[in-house]
Amino acid sequence: MTTQDMTAQDTSAPDVPHAPDATAQPDLAALDGLVGHTTVDGIPALFAPRPGPLTAGLLFRVGRADETLPTTGVTHLVEHLALHRLGLSDLHYNGATADAYTLFHVTGDEDEVVTYLNGVRAALRDLPLERLETEKEILRTEAGSRGNGPLSQMPLWRYGAQGYGLASYDELGTRSLTADQVRHWAETRFTRDNAVLWLTGDRLPEGLDLTLPAGRRFPAPAATDALPVTPAYIRGDDGHVVFTSVVRRSTAAAVFAEVLGRALFKDLRQQGGYSYSAEADYTPRDADFATLTAYADALPQKQDAALGGFVDVFARLRAGRVEQAELDSARGKLRRRYEVPDLGAALLPSYAHSLLLGHRLLTPERHRAELEAVTVEDLCEVARAAWDGGLLQVPTRGAEWAGPTPAPQYSETGVSGTLHPSLDDDDVTLVIGDTGVTLSLPAGLVTVRYDACAAMTTRPDGARYLTGLDGFRVAVEPTLYGDVTPERIAVLDAAVPDEAVVPLPARREEEIPRPRERRATAPAAGTETPAAKEKRAWKWSLGLLLILGVDALFGAGVLLTAVQLAESAAPRWSRLLPAVVPGILLLRITYRTYLSAQGAAERRT
Amino acid sequence: MGESTVSDPFDALPGLAPLRAAAWDDDWAATQDFFAGIGDSAADVSFAAGLLAGVERTEAYLERAAKALPADPLPRTLLAERYVRIGWRIRSGARAERVSRDQFAQFHDWLRKAELLLIEVCAQHPEYGPAWTARLLTARGLELGQSEARRRYDRLAEHHPHLFRAQSQLLQQLCPKWSGSWEAAHGFARDTAAAAPPGSPAGALIAEAHIEHWLDLGGAAATEYLRDVAVRNELREAAGMSVLHPGHRPGWHSLGGHSAFALAFSLGGHLRDAARHFTALGDTVSESFWQYLPDWKNRFATYRTAASATL
Repeated sequence: MTTQDMTAQDTSAPDVPHAPDATAQPDLAALDGLVGHTTVDGIPALFAPRPGPLTAGLLFRVGRADETLPTTGVTHLVEHLALHRLGLSDLHYNGATADAYTLFHVTGDEDEVVTYLNGVRAALRDLPLERLETEKEILRTEAGSRGNGPLSQMPLWRYGAQGYGLASYDELGTRSLTADQVRHWAETRFTRDNAVLWLTGDRLPEGLDLTLPAGRRFPAPAATDALPVTPAYIRGDDGHVVFTSVVRRSTAAAVFAEVLGRALFKDLRQQGGYSYSAEADYTPRDADFATLTAYADALPQKQDAALGGFVDVFARLRAGRVEQAELDSARGKLRRRYEVPDLGAALLPSYAHSLLLGHRLLTPERHRAELEAVTVEDLCEVARAAWDGGLLQVPTRGAEWAGPTPAPQYSETGVSGTLHPSLDDDDVTLVIGDTGVTLSLPAGLVTVRYDACAAMTTRPDGARYLTGLDGFRVAVEPTLYGDVTPERIAVLDAAVPDEAVVPLPARREEEIPRPRERRATAPAAGTETPAAKEKRAWKWSLGLLLILGVDALFGAGVLLTAVQLAESAAPRWSRLLPAVVPGILLLRITYRTYLSAQGAAERRT
Repeated sequence: MGESTVSDPFDALPGLAPLRAAAWDDDWAATQDFFAGIGDSAADVSFAAGLLAGVERTEAYLERAAKALPADPLPRTLLAERYVRIGWRIRSGARAERVSRDQFAQFHDWLRKAELLLIEVCAQHPEYGPAWTARLLTARGLELGQSEARRRYDRLAEHHPHLFRAQSQLLQQLCPKWSGSWEAAHGFARDTAAAAPPGSPAGALIAEAHIEHWLDLGGAAATEYLRDVAVRNELREAAGMSVLHPGHRPGWHSLGGHSAFALAFSLGGHLRDAARHFTALGDTVSESFWQYLPDWKNRFATYRTAASATL
């Protein structure tokens, strides 16, 4: 059951040129003669015939973007649990959790399809929650093997640690979700009213039982915004140029993605030889908007040129310099999607997706007409809108030269509170306040406010990692900052809302970070480890003892001289004068040594 | 003696005076006429654009022209060249470690302004060589990397395989001071000179590369380097197929070419070789490379006198 990263949902979804009325119910009647429609136990169902085995998909309008950072993975868990009882079989089935939907998918004969769908239905009503811990473990393993692709950071920079931004994050819910939370998610989101079924066939098979609890159709989550200015850029790993933008769903935008992909391939690979992969993609995000993604790889020694070529390709399209041949071949490719046998059946997934999201259903005739109507000016308009809203990830030092602004690296404000100097770095201070935490770095502040805290993970050793809804993160490691006492940690625990707290298991001793070894030179006050401070106090005490010893010897010397002078017949008291200045100096040093020893003792307590 | 040498190209070269007059008068129509008179020689347009950039306080009238003619590549390119020059004056010609943070910030700001104009011009007019040439300057100043500079040159060369100013700019980028290597710099100079038609100025790139190498070595090693017979022979051959070639048509680029050869030969002690270039220069010189010498005008005069004695 591969899941999770299946955002690449059918990109052929027919689109209208401009913003559809979001409240309009998709008009199923438009599809008459191509796709049949009915309801099964209250669930809208689309069907169209195709020879050979049956294929069916049961879609729910719930996905990762509906979750919160502490509950990430809950949809994925429901999907895994729903499929568990189906066990091992030769049947070709799958489940997929995307940003805005979950799909249960099967191919087989009529009995097998009915058995699968009824099984999913039954499991959703009665999840095998005794499997919860095992499935959580499996999901953690799956995440570990998935790794981070070159595009993985883009959602979090655009959306923050919420909604569509959660795609960038590990499934934190696989740590802490309870059986009740998972059951509640299934009961409210995997309902009759939040589902759509599609199936290849001229009718629905006998024996289907999809009775699910009533609920409501959840609209796709509203998009959050973590980018104050666009176009923006971030720095990424060597070898990858990545661009994403959010554009209104339209036929012109889908054609533009084709044109862009081909232009990048021609320029960066065929002509320049800077890249191996150079491509673009258009994926509907919700009823009204789609995500445009462009990507090019490059060897590190060629990546500057790959970025330059990327910028110039986009600039050319923005300038409206699109060859008619480019438009024609992109249009031809989209048109060929309709040149397949059993067209109705082939279009079922995208129609079901539109129905689920509330996007208008477009007949092949109308979509073809729209494709014909797309002009170079339309593409130029999409190119400009896409660039203006874009987020660029570059492998080089920056992309300001090409127009984009750096995405925010620091928070706009900090909080006041207790100061905890870093034990590693004299220029870094942690602030624990009543409204949030701030990490003060030489170049700026990173702040997470408690009332905008997406999640706080906790460790029994006192570590607290806070992630803000805007994606900023502050790691409070008591071993790495001065005076982060249990009392200060308690402030965090009291202030962060319970639903944002994710307890993590205890760490092994060697997993708890330690300050780096510092050089042997005396550390500046306030930045040493408690152990170092203790040593310093001892040294000062020893110094005091030594200086007192010198005092005693000096005093004894002066006394002896005085006694000798007094015994002489004609005492020349002026002989004592040379001892006056050293005496005063010695007294002064003694006094300062005494003060220092006192001071060290005070800081230690 | 040094005082009589004319190093301002507006005075040293025929036909450029009207451009300076137009710039001093903020006269866009006259500027436009001047460039229209050049015709479609991208090399000459780019040469004149580089000169105009050095005329102070021209940015305002060029900004007005760029705004008034949004589809015309010329005013935006001239404006971008001017921005680049303003930025570079702030940066100064010093080595990077002697340039302050604030100087760098302002330098980069001016270059970015220029680059944004040039991105647009090149997107609309990919065949317009002067804009691509200016983008070699912005690429270098903004440190966009060797491969990006090369990409820009390659895009330009598709339309203009022998645009001397662009070649000279890329050569700067290929030198170690801009993260290149001597191998790359000399290699580019040789390949480009070899590929150029006989009598074209491209041979001067070989002199430029050797002068840069000399400057980088410094001291006795530098003198030793240019004295080397192999270097001298290469310079002779390069001069022979460019500015000393019978087919060479004297033009604006001849000044820079002869100046570079005269300098390279003089520094290497090959005064007899230098003499022909001094003769061609007469009372004129391009300061581009000569200014690497302290008190260069007097040194120029001294070398010229010494060279003429060998004739």
